Amino acid sequence: MNEMSKNENLDIQIYNFAYLDENTKRMIRRALLKALCIPGYQVPFSSREMPMPYGWGTGGIQVTSACLIPKDILKVIDQGADDTTNAVSIRKFFQKTANVAVTEKTSDASLIQTRHRIPETKLKEKQILVYQVPIPEPLRFLEPRETETRKMHALSEYGLMYVKLYEDIAKHGHIETAYAYPVKTNGNYVTDPSPIPKFDNPKMNNSPAIQLFGAGREQRIYAIPPYTNVKSLDFEDYPFEAMKANFKCSICGSSDSYLDEIIVSDDGKRSYICSDTDYCKEQTKLNSKKED
Amino acid sequence: MFRHRLLQRTNQIKFKKRRLIMKQNFLFQASNISKYYGQNVGCKNVSLDINPGEVLGIVGESGSGKSTLLNCIYGNLEVDEGDIFLNDKSKTILNFTKISEPKLRLIQRSDLAFVHQNPRDGLRMNISAGGNIGERLMAIGHRNYGEIRQIAANWLEKVEIDVSRIDDKPSTFSGGMQQRLQIARNLVTRPRLIFMDEPTGGLDVSVQAKILDLLRNLVRELGIAAVIVTHDLAVVRLLADRIIVMQNGNVIEAGLCDQVLDDPQHKYSQLLVSSVLQV
Repeated sequence: MNEMSKNENLDIQIYNFAYLDENTKRMIRRALLKALCIPGYQVPFSSREMPMPYGWGTGGIQVTSACLIPKDILKVIDQGADDTTNAVSIRKFFQKTANVAVTEKTSDASLIQTRHRIPETKLKEKQILVYQVPIPEPLRFLEPRETETRKMHALSEYGLMYVKLYEDIAKHGHIETAYAYPVKTNGNYVTDPSPIPKFDNPKMNNSPAIQLFGAGREQRIYAIPPYTNVKSLDFEDYPFEAMKANFKCSICGSSDSYLDEIIVSDDGKRSYICSDTDYCKEQTKLNSKKED
Repeated sequence: MFRHRLLQRTNQIKFKKRRLIMKQNFLFQASNISKYYGQNVGCKNVSLDINPGEVLGIVGESGSGKSTLLNCIYGNLEVDEGDIFLNDKSKTILNFTKISEPKLRLIQRSDLAFVHQNPRDGLRMNISAGGNIGERLMAIGHRNYGEIRQIAANWLEKVEIDVSRIDDKPSTFSGGMQQRLQIARNLVTRPRLIFMDEPTGGLDVSVQAKILDLLRNLVRELGIAAVIVTHDLAVVRLLADRIIVMQNGNVIEAGLCDQVLDDPQHKYSQLLVSSVLQV
């Protein structure tokens, strides 16, 4: 026991608070402030090498580490779950390097780092939601030239974005894009909400929490300040629809949360459970209280 | 002989530094534009104007500066000297060399259109025909899928492509169909001036004839003005009202199409006209 606490002390001495050095954090904070001032605009920043590969959330971790203060209560989720590899390792990383308190409860957390989901529990003011973003440029697969996409953003030439939605409807009869569904932030920049399911898109609109997006490999930071209008792109006759699997969670019975499909037997039997583990636990607790 | 000299003289005067005359009803005017590539001349002191609904042909040999001129007046290339004016829909006269880039790009996708020689340059090959036609509509703010699709279908019909191909990608189309699709994609927003760089180059003769026929009908029917760059005199004979002949970056002769082709004054124009192959 004694030895372990010694080790912990040692770790804190070795690492600067939250791993990154102060100058780097300052650089990231500058980018973050700029990003908050121009909602949806992708601010370039000089992304650092992190002690994990690109694609594991290096962008999100850098943003988190620039925002973290010792008082923070951190929650990390991956696809909505607190107990998946990515979430566990990032949480441990910050416990080790910043010694901050951690939680699985959405409502207790002051800073939430997320991959691919927005928590079901409504976020509050003074909470920060940090997204891990693989590709920050919503126009990337439509126009490969970065010089051109920047120009398109600057002149808000977003016809091409609608061509993508048009192609979806022409091919599938409805807008097939189910994740990373493009949004217009503050009526200005078209933004990639990171690969969250489009079920979560409405939660971004007018959210009381600060939403920060970090893309490490692509070296971009963007943000949506609290109470900002975020509109999912659509056609008049094919309006945006937040969709989810039409089932109930087989653990908590909730029908209004986003579900994961899991195959439970060799003959292909399926089961659906909440992807947000914290929400699922809360609902189960509420249900058992009701039964009592 | 005297008449010939006189004509030559007046032609020369016309295309030497002339004063800018702002006619009320002109659509497009370029005055004294020059473009240099280092020491080399792209085009020099070229002036031209286009009236609404008029088709202007630019002919000349390879390297004579036709495409440079076209790209300059479309706004793709920055000119070194001279001014380019467009009388826009609201009757304000805009100078391309002075307006901001956003404004220029907006004009390029609403008032103007550009048809490339190679349809691959002007089309999005991995997007369906309907999407290709719809892009310009969506770019200027159309947000109704049903409407966009209907307009796309109408345009496919107009350019004689089977409407059932609306969801096929242009890569599955023949060269002639691709070119017709490119024309539809450009005309869908009803531009007032369309620039075409060798629209029938690289197509076989019967397909060429079909496209020319189509272009002639569309241009006349919609009253669109056009600038057509080509080295094929038959194309200008068929489509153009007026032509200018270029050599080494200079305009050497200009006038009504039939006049220039039937009675060429400049040595080079005479050579050009006489070298057309007769069947």
